[in-house]
Amino acid sequence: MSGNIRQVVSALRHNRIGALLVAMQIAITLAVLVNAVFIVKQRMERTSRPTGFDVENVIAIASAGFAQDFDYVTTLREDLAYLRSLPGVIAATASNSVPLGGGVGVMASLAARPNAEVHSLPGGYFEVDEQGIDALGVRLVAGRGFEQSEVEPPADSITARMPKQIIITQAFADELFPNENALGKTVYDSVDTPVTVIGIIEHMQAASADVAYVDRVSLVPRQPSSVPKNFYLVRTEPQQRDVVMRMVEGRMSTSNPDRMISWVRSLEEVRRRAYLADRNMGIFLVTITALLLTLTALSLFGLATFNVNARTKQIGTRRALGARRGDIVRYFLLENWLISTIGVVLGCVLTLAASYWLTRKYGLPRLDLIYLAGGVVGLWVLGQIAAWQPARAAAQVPPAVATRRIA
Amino acid sequence: MIRLYLRMALKSLGQNPGLTAIMVATVALGIAACVTVITMFHAMSADPIWWKSDRLYAVTLDSWDVNEPPDAARPHLPPPRLTYRDAMHLLESNIPERKTVMYVARTSILSNADRPPIAAEARFTRGDFFPMFDVPFQYGGSWSVADDTNAAPVIVLSKEVNETLFGGDNSVGRIVRWNDREFRIVGVLDTWEPQPKFYDLNRGHFEMPEGAYIPFRWGPQNKVTSASGRCWKPEPLDSYEDILGSECTWQQMWVELPDAATRERMQDLLDTYTTEQRKSGRFQRPQNNRLTNVPQWLIDQGVVQNDNRVLVGLAFAFLAVCLLNVVGLLLAKFLNAAKTIGIRRALGARKGQIFAQYFVEAAVVSTLGAALGLALGALSLKGLSIMYTVDEATRGGYRELLHFDVSSVVVAIALAAVATVVGGFYPAWRAARLPPAVYLKSQ
Repeated sequence: MSGNIRQVVSALRHNRIGALLVAMQIAITLAVLVNAVFIVKQRMERTSRPTGFDVENVIAIASAGFAQDFDYVTTLREDLAYLRSLPGVIAATASNSVPLGGGVGVMASLAARPNAEVHSLPGGYFEVDEQGIDALGVRLVAGRGFEQSEVEPPADSITARMPKQIIITQAFADELFPNENALGKTVYDSVDTPVTVIGIIEHMQAASADVAYVDRVSLVPRQPSSVPKNFYLVRTEPQQRDVVMRMVEGRMSTSNPDRMISWVRSLEEVRRRAYLADRNMGIFLVTITALLLTLTALSLFGLATFNVNARTKQIGTRRALGARRGDIVRYFLLENWLISTIGVVLGCVLTLAASYWLTRKYGLPRLDLIYLAGGVVGLWVLGQIAAWQPARAAAQVPPAVATRRIA
Repeated sequence: MIRLYLRMALKSLGQNPGLTAIMVATVALGIAACVTVITMFHAMSADPIWWKSDRLYAVTLDSWDVNEPPDAARPHLPPPRLTYRDAMHLLESNIPERKTVMYVARTSILSNADRPPIAAEARFTRGDFFPMFDVPFQYGGSWSVADDTNAAPVIVLSKEVNETLFGGDNSVGRIVRWNDREFRIVGVLDTWEPQPKFYDLNRGHFEMPEGAYIPFRWGPQNKVTSASGRCWKPEPLDSYEDILGSECTWQQMWVELPDAATRERMQDLLDTYTTEQRKSGRFQRPQNNRLTNVPQWLIDQGVVQNDNRVLVGLAFAFLAVCLLNVVGLLLAKFLNAAKTIGIRRALGARKGQIFAQYFVEAAVVSTLGAALGLALGALSLKGLSIMYTVDEATRGGYRELLHFDVSSVVVAIALAAVATVVGGFYPAWRAARLPPAVYLKSQ
């Protein structure tokens, strides 16, 4: 075997540049492949985080009243009565925000003690009514939902104090009260209003996918403000969503001339919009990486073919001297493996440099070395596959070639 | 001579169409990726009002909480907007040639008796807004200074809104209802789509400009609240007057300063003002008052996303691999022609002539690759704008941004030239250096 390597190395010396060019391609391909896969993995983790709410069956409606004599309270009552009367609707609530879809006043801070004593924690803020939990399809794990009598009318200023009851996500509860049961505890809003935690929901994402507090959410019993718009969240029976959406669009856009329905969207659509940039980045990276791998494989194939053609005579001579077909195949695969290895070693350096740059400059997490190991093995295998056909062709060269003068 | 080389190159490329196709396609892919990404990057970082960039300045003051910066990710920057009271004070200055403070209304619905109401954002601004940003008019024009002073109920509509509400007619002098209040139309804008939307980057960097413009003073007089703003101070905000007097930042201010001297005077004014205010307990952070020109403003506000920078790096890595690939293929091809080269050398061709001949062949490959690459780039930009289309109805966003322009073509040509030099030089040099005798022998 070591004799074999010596032969390969001496053969490589004759086409140094060709081999080096391919090795450099392999190096760059490895760097792109490993970092791209790492980034795509993170984006996929981000976009596939559990939402906690019923993504498939909830519809969000944005309504903006604009007339001088717009009667918001009546509009709310009539809209909700209409939505709840529709066949296939499980529950409906008015709300100030849409999960992953923005809203009005979407953030509120809570603290376990008055603000002077501790730092408050920002979290997503949803104003809902007694049907809120059912309309979102979130799972209550402790305590109870809101009662109709607890639901307050719309707040008249942006710094209004919180209602007396609150429901928070488990994640929020755990951060406010580590190692304690948050149910029944008092929390404080930004102006130190005491509020009682009456329920805890398993999980729910906030109105934006991009905030650090995406898992910390609170629900409060209050009707949303009308300015600039309010939202309705409507949950339907499975498979009824699209039918209900069409009914709602048809009816609500004309039922009240004093307001405008800005849009009606399923939460699936809302989530798609929230992650559009992540999806697109993923598509770019996968496309470019796939093209790179193809090109590199083609180069390895081309180089091996060139080498086989250039050495037809030499192969014939070796065959005439007793080398078996398997020896010839092994010889070319070994040559390919050596070139791949030079490329991969260069590539490891390049990969780590690129990863360092991404971490330093764009705050990406440090590369998990498992990905690098996977990339190295992957490129080795790719190289062997690319060289397989030329190596087989080399093995078919008849020993008689050695006896002819011109190959 | 060049024509001979071109003929020989085409003949040689035609003899091996498969290999030629692979080389051209490889160059094309690399160039397409770069052209696409660079076009995108260029469009994002473009200065949409470059001819006035040395005159337009965003005014910002650091009135924020002494304990924390307004943006932890960019702690050196003041908040992008001003408080109402600071904006009002600075607006009184006569140093700028033109000046405006402005904000976008939270609710905004336009209607006209004949047609269903439409949602179109409304900007409260001074009449200076239009000449300052060189906004073109289709009909009419800006309102007067008197209208600014008197908070007159007049309005300027965008071309799009005028088309929806008035069928594109000259609607100047007619009445339109904004949030159910009557306004007289004084102007209709022509097509105006600055990208990025430099004058207001608070809610999306590539959105379309607003559909309606109303004299600034009308807004606060009628208690119109802002669509965007940030507060830091725990203070009562129960009434509209509370908001006007608060530390909440919600006013955008731009000034036009014709020369360095006025710029210096304006900076002095800002510094004197905050020093004065500091005595009454405001502006407790280190003094950080800024006049920022448009290019810097785009950088400060993070218009070019990190994803896009990563993609530029990626595209160049890709191009590098494509070029390496082509160098390898050309090298193999030229060295395979050793015998022919040997004969030509023996017949009297000089090294330089051999080099030129093969360099031309490489150039032909690069040129074909660039042409194909441009076409591929146009396709992939089309694909991108589809990928970035959030929905069919809304304009704005990346969708408007991604189109081919002269700079894309220039980039493609430049890259093709680089590809020729990088990809063709070495193989042609190697071909020229082949010793003729060795390859003649075996014939």
